[in-house]
Amino acid sequence: MSARDVHGVEPPWGDAFSVIGKPHRKVDGLAKATGQALYADDLSLPGMLHAKTLRSPHAHARIVSIDTSRAAALDGVHAVITGADLPTPYGVIPWTQDEHALALERVRFIGDEVAAVAAVDEETAEAALERIDVVYEPLHAFLDPHEAAERGEPAIHPERKKGNVSKHVELEFGNVEEALAEAEFVVEGDYFYHGTTHAPIEPHCALARYTADGLLTLWSSTQITHYVHRTLSAVLGLSPTRIRVVQPCLGGAFGGKSDPFSFELCAAKLAMITGRPVKLLWTREEVFYAHRGRHPMHMHYRAGADSDGRLRGVDARILIDGGAYSSFGLVTTYYSGQLLTGPYDFPAYRFDSTRVFTNKPPCGPKRGHGSVQPRFAFEVQLDELAQKVGLDPIEIRRGNFQGSDTSTVNGQRITSSGFAECLDAVEHASDWKARHGALPFGRGLGVAGSMYITGTNYPVYPNEMPQAGVQLKVDRSGLVTCFTGGNDIGQGSNSVVAYLVAEELGMDHRDVRVVAADTDLCPVDLGAYSSRVTFMVGNAAIDAARKLRRAIVGAVAEAWEVELERVRMIGGTVLDLGDAERALTTAEAFQLAEARLDTLGSTGSYNTPTLGGDYRGGTIGASPAYSFTAHVVEVAVDEETGRISVNDAWIAHDCGRALNPMLVAGQMEGSAYMGMAEALLEHHEVNRFGLHAGPSLLDYRIPTAVDTPELHALIVESLDPEGPYGAKEAGEGPLHPAIPAISNAVWDAVGIRLRHLPFTPAKVLAALSERTPRAAGSEV
Amino acid sequence: MRVVTLRINGDEREIAVRDHWTLLEALRYELGLTGSKQGCDKGDCGACTVLVDGEPTLACVTLAVLAEGREITTIEGLAPRHRASGGEGADPLQEAFDRCGALQCGFCQPGTLLSARALLDRTPRPDREAIRAALAGNLCRCTGYTQILEAIELAAGEAAGVEVPTPEWMADLRRAEGTSRP
Amino acid sequence: MLRLPAFELARPRTVEEAVGLLAEHGDRAAGLGGGTDLVPNMKHKLVTPEVVVSLAAIPELGGLAVAEDGTLVIGAMCPIAKLAAEERVGAGWPAVAQAASLIASPQLRNSGTLGGNVMLDTRCRWLNQTFFWRKSLGFCLKKDGSECHVVSGGSRCVAAASNDSAPALMSVGASAVFVGPDGRRELALEELWSTDGVRNKRCEPAELLVEVRVPPTAAGHRGAYGKLRDRGSIDFPLLGCAVRLDLDAAGAVLDADAVLVALQARPARLRGCAELVGGTTPGSPEFAAAARAVAERAGRKARPLPNVPGDAEYRHAMVPVLVRRTLEAAGAGGGPVHPL
Repeated sequence: MSARDVHGVEPPWGDAFSVIGKPHRKVDGLAKATGQALYADDLSLPGMLHAKTLRSPHAHARIVSIDTSRAAALDGVHAVITGADLPTPYGVIPWTQDEHALALERVRFIGDEVAAVAAVDEETAEAALERIDVVYEPLHAFLDPHEAAERGEPAIHPERKKGNVSKHVELEFGNVEEALAEAEFVVEGDYFYHGTTHAPIEPHCALARYTADGLLTLWSSTQITHYVHRTLSAVLGLSPTRIRVVQPCLGGAFGGKSDPFSFELCAAKLAMITGRPVKLLWTREEVFYAHRGRHPMHMHYRAGADSDGRLRGVDARILIDGGAYSSFGLVTTYYSGQLLTGPYDFPAYRFDSTRVFTNKPPCGPKRGHGSVQPRFAFEVQLDELAQKVGLDPIEIRRGNFQGSDTSTVNGQRITSSGFAECLDAVEHASDWKARHGALPFGRGLGVAGSMYITGTNYPVYPNEMPQAGVQLKVDRSGLVTCFTGGNDIGQGSNSVVAYLVAEELGMDHRDVRVVAADTDLCPVDLGAYSSRVTFMVGNAAIDAARKLRRAIVGAVAEAWEVELERVRMIGGTVLDLGDAERALTTAEAFQLAEARLDTLGSTGSYNTPTLGGDYRGGTIGASPAYSFTAHVVEVAVDEETGRISVNDAWIAHDCGRALNPMLVAGQMEGSAYMGMAEALLEHHEVNRFGLHAGPSLLDYRIPTAVDTPELHALIVESLDPEGPYGAKEAGEGPLHPAIPAISNAVWDAVGIRLRHLPFTPAKVLAALSERTPRAAGSEV
Repeated sequence: MRVVTLRINGDEREIAVRDHWTLLEALRYELGLTGSKQGCDKGDCGACTVLVDGEPTLACVTLAVLAEGREITTIEGLAPRHRASGGEGADPLQEAFDRCGALQCGFCQPGTLLSARALLDRTPRPDREAIRAALAGNLCRCTGYTQILEAIELAAGEAAGVEVPTPEWMADLRRAEGTSRP
Repeated sequence: MLRLPAFELARPRTVEEAVGLLAEHGDRAAGLGGGTDLVPNMKHKLVTPEVVVSLAAIPELGGLAVAEDGTLVIGAMCPIAKLAAEERVGAGWPAVAQAASLIASPQLRNSGTLGGNVMLDTRCRWLNQTFFWRKSLGFCLKKDGSECHVVSGGSRCVAAASNDSAPALMSVGASAVFVGPDGRRELALEELWSTDGVRNKRCEPAELLVEVRVPPTAAGHRGAYGKLRDRGSIDFPLLGCAVRLDLDAAGAVLDADAVLVALQARPARLRGCAELVGGTTPGSPEFAAAARAVAERAGRKARPLPNVPGDAEYRHAMVPVLVRRTLEAAGAGGGPVHPL
């Protein structure tokens, strides 16, 4: 790690922050509130065509033939393409590129893309799809991951060598068998996490333009512009210098817009063929088929503790249902084990995770990628262990807290950790001591904790270049424009960049414009995933702003003939600390500096330090900083209907420093809401035909305002030494504990352990009917 | 094609539509009023909510032809309406959404804002339960609704000249000791 | 986005004109109320009319009034929101107002009409999906196919009546008034339903529902509606139950009724309700025992099928709970029972 990456946690000027830490408005808030913000489907170009995609009605089949002639002959149809037009495989992870924009020889799930049509309007394109004649030879469809793990034929990906196994990782740290044998108490159990999906309200959409000079521009609802850029180049066979990718305003993503997708490649290819702009907007149903959501995981855990509750070892065996393609699955498989090793210390740990292919919509990264499922299993098991040991659930977590400035059993470096304060906060806010175990039957409190990464030092493709770059341009008017490749997907990363630059330059943040996620204009950033943007783009922004600040301060000091230390930029002015009469406006200072130095500008970047364990896969899950969360939820369980109501949720999250506490709270509340939705309502279910059971926002039950509990965001700041002014992530970590906290609260309420998601009323009733009556004194 | 005259945000707009086009398609693709969003295709999400004669209505299941003769307000109409009545900036509700952090991705918010506007026009000081009920047809995937509820309470409170409690996260941020522990 | 298939829109200004259009075009026509059911169904190609007859321009269909004899007259095009909010409906026919307040979402209640909810097509998890989805499945008995995916080997469609208003209206003895080519006829709502999920209403395609008439309730009338669904809004019922209790001057039950929906193709009246609760006084142990007896009977008689989403066994387990709680709510002058 180079010194340029560490900027300290203190305010850049004097004792207090001017912009940071305050609930400022977002740079794009009013544009969104007034309907002026433009999202991908809001764009249109003269002469634009509309494209639609033909999808496989079979879960697994060989394509015998495709005849597009009847479709091509339809009036208004301008181009029809099939897999043969885009034969180059791709995939976000370079080692597992098993996708094609359109199926080549085989379709692998119901909804897999087969052909695409560009026509004068959507209706004509839709009509043309019905005139594409495809002959399929159906193959055995794998719907059960256990079957896929055992049976390699027919292989879903015949080019792969390991049957239907997508990835297998087995790692052991310390001696688990020995540790568990020595433990006083051991709990063992099976846990199941079902599939869920992101369901952003904006469906995916791309608009492609290919001009006569051979330049391709793609506006796409992506959260990773850079990988789309690379994939377009590889699959279309175009030099990346001929391609520009722009992310317009994005209507939610949550990981579901991380992969390069067929719709982007097809829109681009169709624009190249026709020479006309082409828009491809998915229907809601298609969004469900594209999926890339939470992997279903069948998990077996063993955990052992001493008589005082100190953890001795944890052993996990996980079967991961990957769906039809690899997507981020290699990382998912590692994350399913690698991210469990905090905030608790345990000396021995083993995980054995296997991801298999099945003939279902492909799974991928959803908010809390790969670690939400194991966290659920482990945090429920930890409560079971507390019960056995005879400890309060918060106390067992406190007692096993690993602390800050330490390292985990699998070799990850922990810097700041405010987990203990998170536990304190939720314990206090929920009145835990007085109420846990003491509420009337049917009501209960549950706790859970978690840890999550703030970016990862594993770039998706190996390279030595910075993970994040920022460029600043200065205008004589006093305006600073900041160019960043970072993707603002609604979390507010563009606003954060404006706040940071304004703080460094002592300016009004409204005088900082942010231009983002445009590959022609902005330095590369690796995109909005792994909770990396605030940390990495933020550090890059401070880096760039500090360079600019040094130039301006230097020029002013020289002009004033004073020491550098006497020049301070604050409140939109440049002051001489030694002479109260002397001051410039920011604009005057810019002009002075421009006259003395040259056209003003600067660049800044961030790269992670070398991190991770010294073993294969040791860098996956290695993060420059980890965030920590604790939840307490209060539930009411209707013993007769089995319905669980979450009434209140207290969410304490260590975000390092809250650069804007309002935005941090929004991330915490949104995360907690999404976690509860997964626990209680949502189910990405594939039926016995291999069909998504209900690919609509009617059948996939997203909670409404009346289904969402009161959410109490309690912000904890641990001031991370490497984060921008100490900041860490807030967008994914706070989702994790929501699910196990509900299970643990249900135990407190009615004495049943829910180990299988989702917690439907039917499951609750079944568990209640099997429950052994609560014997007096048997409970903690 | 049929020529219809739609009264939108106070303007009379004459457009040609086909009988099976929805009001949402006409707004977005014929009139360029792209503030009304499309999320679910068929009446399940509320992103396309517009006001028809003051009532929140889903434009994606309303035929454009049948909107003739009705008073249609889209998200683009709120701020101009506020200014026409002597106000500054955007509609106070839009400002409150911005001030409270209620706009994350923002995609569902035009619809949510119009549902909220209709609520406050009818019930100036709704309690939280009434606000939740009025928003029960507008799915938001980002916020967990909390900051939306806070924004509506803020706008309603300010309109009534009443102080609104600050949200919990405004309380003292908890500073952890841990950073540089030896 | 998912587009509507093309059709021609007719906008008649009178009932006679509308009926004439429906008669002229027969199976190729469909009547359009608020559009909240028909539009999604057309997008899914479950109905593919060439002519859509909008009823929006017929002023006489939009009424909501209490006639001199105390009959509640609800025009077919009366918005559900208006019905739910009308104080006289809440006071005189509480089950109807409660059911209306729980239909779909606020926006859909503004557009959706009472007539549209009465005439709502039956629903099934294997049916209310896109054309592509249904095609991947090989279609189903109700539309475009020959196989039932709910009942293996079944030859009769069991798509479920999913209209909250139907049981509520039936519980208070409502009737439906249709105008057709042969004139006007009124039939008890009870008589409207058939057990065929393909077409669960005994009316001709050219017959237009113009109004629903609800007789006045007695002084001691109490009613309530209960609804089981996953969310607190938007969703169709996984079960619905409407209850009527008529009390005498002393507060004892004179007559009682319970009607269930979202089981099979027709809303189902639970027989024997009055016998079990008659003579008991709400709030008394006898009433509570009688309510349990009715609930048990409901659990034995009502068999939810795996037609609508959700676990059918769970829905079955909830039948007695819903019936009992709705009876108790009605007895206490409360309701709606929601969430269950």
